[in-house]
Amino acid sequence: MDFELDSETKEAITKAREFAKKYFTEEAAERSDREERFPTEIVALSKKEKILDFSNPWKVLVTIEELVRRDPGLGISVTISAFGAEIFMFFGNDDQKEKYMNPVFAGLKTLGLGVTEPGGGSDVANIKTEAKLDGDSYILNGGKMFISNGQIADYFLVLARTSPPPSPEKKHRGMSVFVVDSKSPGFSVNKLHGKLGVRATNTAELIFNNVRVPKENMVGEEGKGFYYIMTFFNISRIYVAAQGLGIAHGALDRLVEYSKKYGEISDTGELKESIQLAIAEIATRVEATRNLTYKAASYLFKFTPNPIVTSMSKYYAAETAVFSTRRALELMSLHGLTNDLERFFRDAKILDIWEGTTEVEKLIITRMMLKEEGA
Amino acid sequence: MEEEYEILESTVKDFNSKFVDNNSLKLENESMGPDFIRMLADQGFFSMMGQGSDASGSDLKALSIVLENLSKSAPAAAVKVLLVNAFSTLVNDTGILDSVGKGAKSGTVTFSDLLVPKGQNGSLKLENGRVKGEKEYVLGSDSDFILTLLDTGELILLKSGFSQGKKHKKLGFRSIGFSSINVDSSDYSVVAKDGIAALRKMYEDFTLPISAIAIGMSEGVSQKALDYAKVRTAFGHYLKDFQPLAFDLTSLIAEMNILKRYFHDLLSSPISRKEAMFLKHKSLILAKDMSKTSLQIHGGYGYLEDFGIEKFYRDSMALSVLFHREDSDMEELSSLVFEGKAGFV
Ligand SMILES: Cc1cc2nc3c(=O)[nH]c(=O)nc-3n(C[C@H](O)[C@H](O)[C@H](O)COP(=O)(O)OP(=O)(O)OC[C@H]3O[C@@H](n4cnc5c(N)ncnc54)[C@H](O)[C@@H]3O)c2cc1C
Repeated sequence: MDFELDSETKEAITKAREFAKKYFTEEAAERSDREERFPTEIVALSKKEKILDFSNPWKVLVTIEELVRRDPGLGISVTISAFGAEIFMFFGNDDQKEKYMNPVFAGLKTLGLGVTEPGGGSDVANIKTEAKLDGDSYILNGGKMFISNGQIADYFLVLARTSPPPSPEKKHRGMSVFVVDSKSPGFSVNKLHGKLGVRATNTAELIFNNVRVPKENMVGEEGKGFYYIMTFFNISRIYVAAQGLGIAHGALDRLVEYSKKYGEISDTGELKESIQLAIAEIATRVEATRNLTYKAASYLFKFTPNPIVTSMSKYYAAETAVFSTRRALELMSLHGLTNDLERFFRDAKILDIWEGTTEVEKLIITRMMLKEEGA
Repeated sequence: MEEEYEILESTVKDFNSKFVDNNSLKLENESMGPDFIRMLADQGFFSMMGQGSDASGSDLKALSIVLENLSKSAPAAAVKVLLVNAFSTLVNDTGILDSVGKGAKSGTVTFSDLLVPKGQNGSLKLENGRVKGEKEYVLGSDSDFILTLLDTGELILLKSGFSQGKKHKKLGFRSIGFSSINVDSSDYSVVAKDGIAALRKMYEDFTLPISAIAIGMSEGVSQKALDYAKVRTAFGHYLKDFQPLAFDLTSLIAEMNILKRYFHDLLSSPISRKEAMFLKHKSLILAKDMSKTSLQIHGGYGYLEDFGIEKFYRDSMALSVLFHREDSDMEELSSLVFEGKAGFV
């Protein structure tokens, strides 16, 4: 067992740190947050400087962590443009990889993933969007809710029902994944406004009104969509854990800096103990999150994913981010309220919700554990 | 609860349903506007603690009941009422109190003078009869009158000669001005020689009203979660059917009801500093926990402002920073519990 990152990954951290320092200015972060504005220019710069190297997932992971540590909204916006692309990698055919995945990985195109619907996000098997075969295409009808990159993506991977479930217990059958061009007739989006946090990211509702999708846009096999999406979540949740790690680490940075500048000294000549213990607690949780996240990542990156550890890392990272930002804000008082920590506090809460709520992650952990034990 | 307070409570509930509930997002995020401010004043909400000609003297209990109920829907409106009443307890110029009580003018107090150590929120000095300098972290900086401390310790009432400076980020109560103020004024009066003592006394008196806001927020946000969990389904069940969700919310609601009972007990007995602080300590934590759980129950919808949940998440944290001292309040409370200086290392 070796807890050291290799030199290439360490370089990625330095590169991300320098990029964030240069471009994630408080002015840029504050503006994107205030105006709920996607940071198009910064994202373009990140592509130009090849901040994300998709050929090495470890580098992607630490880059997310490092960028988010500087600013969650900007960091996530920069790293989310290929959201869903692993579905092509694992289940797409060569043409789809060539046409859709490669341009996304090259930073030329933006992807979105439409799973959640107005009626529910946790209960994926209950989606209502339908795709009906009509000649050599499918006709899509329905709607997707809270879709990241909704207004800016060139393509979306969309989960839709292609046949009725064989029985109420087998609702997860009969769904398929399609790639939909955002310029397709009948496709429209409504930007969603007024998010609590991650306001730099673009979120929208997608509407499919008789959207015709060529048959060859089905990804993988018909009826296996649910399985593809769950497989994808077992990958993406590790990156969400990295977001949590970045946010928590960012809160820790700010608290440590505050304690050096303003921390009250008691008559022993040391910082008062409650802030000392808070720093230790946050730092420990950050470290524990990192170990769990890197463990999940090392399973996955060796092509032996461990969904239990993955869900543990996502849930624990979300909890750590929410805990750390809250605790730091409580301790930093008006200093925290009036600097970027208040943004971290708002941003952190999304991690409990997207890509599997914390409750859903916990259910996955136990159900998988019991299954493994043959219960 | 005594009858007159029951009547007051139903008056505020009525006011909420007529003027607040449908408007609560705007009242929180944009501006309350002069009409709404006048409506608050017409209800007498701005003259519950002062000595103005219309006020019948201080009524902490009535103020707390008003704040609790306003906070269920619009915490920012409650904070506005709190600031004006805090101002009124310290001022004895009847002309000013009357205009503030009627909502024609507004006043605030720089709580930040108590929240951060001296020197961390700017500096105001007296130079040749003029007050000069900058004060940071002024909640209600869009007011006509500001009560604030000079570096020398006097509490002064600034009547003009100040302007809003650097705008601060607003986690909560976004319709209330929050910025530094730049001061160059000869139009001021000294309200208390020992300004810190006067501010501290006000801060102590307002322990229950601040708790009232926290409890009201918990009531408001938990009601939204209860309503939502009864109609939203997942996996073929109403959300209320799931143990993690039902148990978490129920446990917090149990805590809320215990605190509410305690709160009403405290209102009808002579005020004990220690017990008032117990309540404030616990109710501020509860408001944060309750809004977090309620947001979570709403899933993605909770994260968007339309459902009126996320504002409680922001406001509950803002309340606990803007009207509470994490460390020094606990030091004080620990010392009361240990009956001697405690918790200072
Ligand atoms: C900013 C943002 C961006 C997003 N981006 C995307 C995206 O790009 N693509 C996409 O497809 N989706 C996206 N989502 C949607 C997100 O994944 C869903 O919001 C999430 O999965 C939860 O679904 P829901 O909101 O419908 O909540 P619900 O599923 O209705 O859940 C509500 C509450 O019930 C709880 N609950 C549900 N079932 C159970 C159970 N069995 N036991 C206990 N508790 C339970 C949940 O944990 C939650 O607390 C995004 C959401 C947001 C807010």
